[in-house]
Amino acid sequence: MAGEDSHTALAVIQKTLAEHFSWDLRILTYGIIQEPSNSSQNSENNFLQIPHYTADLEIRPDLRLNIDPLELSAKPRMRLEYSIWREGYRKGESEWDDDWYINEWLVRWKVRENLFISYGRENLQWGPSFLFSPSNPFFQDNGRRNPYLEVPGMDFGRLVWIPGSSWTISFIANTDEGRNKTASGFPIGFPQGTPFEKTFALKIDYTGRQNYGSIIFSHREDSLNSLGFFGGWTISDAILLYGEGVITQGSKALYPKRDSSPFGASMQKLHQDDSTIKPVLLIGGSYTFAASGTLSMEYAYYSPGYSDADPDTYYSLRRSAAGAISSSGLLSALGQKTLGQTASTGLRFLRKNYALFQYTQNNIKNKIDLTLRWTQNLNDGSGQFTAVVSYSLGNHVELFSVGTVMAGGKNTEFGSILDYQWMIGLKYSF
Amino acid sequence: MNRQHKKRDLILLVFTLVSCLGFFLPSLHAAMDPKEILRKADEARGNAEGVEWEIAIDSIEGGRQQQRTIRVTARGFNSLAEFLAPPNVKGQKLLMLDRNMWFAKPGLSKAVPISPRQKLVGGTANGDIASTNYAGDYKIVQTSEDMVSGEPCYLFDLSAVDNRATYDRIKYWISKERLVGLKAEFYTVSGKMFKTATFGYENSIMVDGKPREFISKMGITSAVMKEDVTTMSYRKASIKKVPDSVFNLNLLLK
Repeated sequence: MAGEDSHTALAVIQKTLAEHFSWDLRILTYGIIQEPSNSSQNSENNFLQIPHYTADLEIRPDLRLNIDPLELSAKPRMRLEYSIWREGYRKGESEWDDDWYINEWLVRWKVRENLFISYGRENLQWGPSFLFSPSNPFFQDNGRRNPYLEVPGMDFGRLVWIPGSSWTISFIANTDEGRNKTASGFPIGFPQGTPFEKTFALKIDYTGRQNYGSIIFSHREDSLNSLGFFGGWTISDAILLYGEGVITQGSKALYPKRDSSPFGASMQKLHQDDSTIKPVLLIGGSYTFAASGTLSMEYAYYSPGYSDADPDTYYSLRRSAAGAISSSGLLSALGQKTLGQTASTGLRFLRKNYALFQYTQNNIKNKIDLTLRWTQNLNDGSGQFTAVVSYSLGNHVELFSVGTVMAGGKNTEFGSILDYQWMIGLKYSF
Repeated sequence: MNRQHKKRDLILLVFTLVSCLGFFLPSLHAAMDPKEILRKADEARGNAEGVEWEIAIDSIEGGRQQQRTIRVTARGFNSLAEFLAPPNVKGQKLLMLDRNMWFAKPGLSKAVPISPRQKLVGGTANGDIASTNYAGDYKIVQTSEDMVSGEPCYLFDLSAVDNRATYDRIKYWISKERLVGLKAEFYTVSGKMFKTATFGYENSIMVDGKPREFISKMGITSAVMKEDVTTMSYRKASIKKVPDSVFNLNLLLK
């Protein structure tokens, strides 16, 4: 009798899984060749110790169980990496590394048809921009630079209420940095040494006939408040216009300041208690050609970025710190610390004015997807060219390539870390 | 003899009534408001409250063949298309909220806003996969009569009410007898025909407890490149009330 019961229960579970469970699996294998820039930030590659070659295997299953009103999802990941160094202290070294983790997971409960509560590790992204998403108080990386690398998830509790077809109100609590942290354990997007603080946000979305808009009020527990916003307008079949921005009071970012320290300057949180408003504004538009292909352009004004007077101090400090790390004792330690600060200033961009030009064409001859992107720092003249190409080799296999070339001197934003990077690989989808 | 006469008279009466009904039926349809005819034809290709279906798209463009299977949930001007096959596009999503469109891809961090001009696959416009609402999206400029494959049809000349509609102008042939659209020609603003479509209705759904013909196939042919053909086969169609949450970007699982 008990055997029959367990058999029946097993049959019910099997039926439930068959009807409500779904999964996808992607296996990526790729290699990266990159040339570290011999700049003062990473002289001879002794500070950042970037490997010249890496070979990776990633297994990415996506699992979903939808038993109305409950939805469960999980994205466990396995990554195996082999790295070889050709520059710096680790020249000639190689290393195997493996990483097993859950990048995202979610439990979502439908309380009513218009009310949802969820908790989980998510890559919570929004906004129409390509360059970056200033309205998002949680993530600095919007994942657009390289679509084959996943953005690490953070832990969120969310309540989503849909009072009408045009409106959505979300309460979002960011309770943990999850995987979105640096190797030294600090949250990405903040100066090194800044601890994680919970952030709470209220997001209100409106969708009209041919336009949409959102505002996001956020409060970080250490009193960093911001008002984010974005919106878009479908002007015609071919033209989209959009904007995105944020207004913050003060900044936790590090700014260079001349002083009596051994390097003649140091990185300091100059605007931590500042009550001045720091706006960030991005405007953009795209045009889709009749014969397919979409051209996008964006301009961003990033007011927290360094003013014209700051870069001289910043690069001079970097040079002094780079010269000190090969010495011994306290000076070397100070040099290491300073370079850590100049590398992670807590600013999304170093300067104030940026432009992006992008051309995308998908499904060329039913096989090729292409994105060409130029990002220009309008203040220091440096730039970054990225080409993302994928070629379909049937229904399961895709050959892809992401190439990035930097333009500008060693004392420029885009010329500081890498000269070029080329990623090439295969993606197998089940 | 009298009884035989009565029986004969009854048969004659029934025959006459049936004949009259057959004679008057097209007239009854003819007496219908053109807007009502268009609305009836729409019912065979969608539903205002909501519809969910799977569409197998086979496209030949420039001699190259491409297949996609998508599940579409649609209501009014909103629709969500989820790609089911082949594996390399599985999980991609196209969300259309009126004229606002977003495209989400597994692995891609956020949904990308796209313009209505960006094509789904082959000759299929994004609006083709959604529920049809010609009665709401287009105004009737002119009506006439014509034949399609020997079937008498009303021929509607439709013009977009506003820029929310997928096409600027459509010539639409609706069967007089079955009240379903059989053929359409799609025109640009300049009046140039750029594609044609034919429709098949081998599916059946229940409306008010009665079975009704429902779309099973739409074949699209480019007017410029005649060999560019896209066929959409509709299956697993179900009429159901679709809540707003289905079309909410905040709840879109990637």
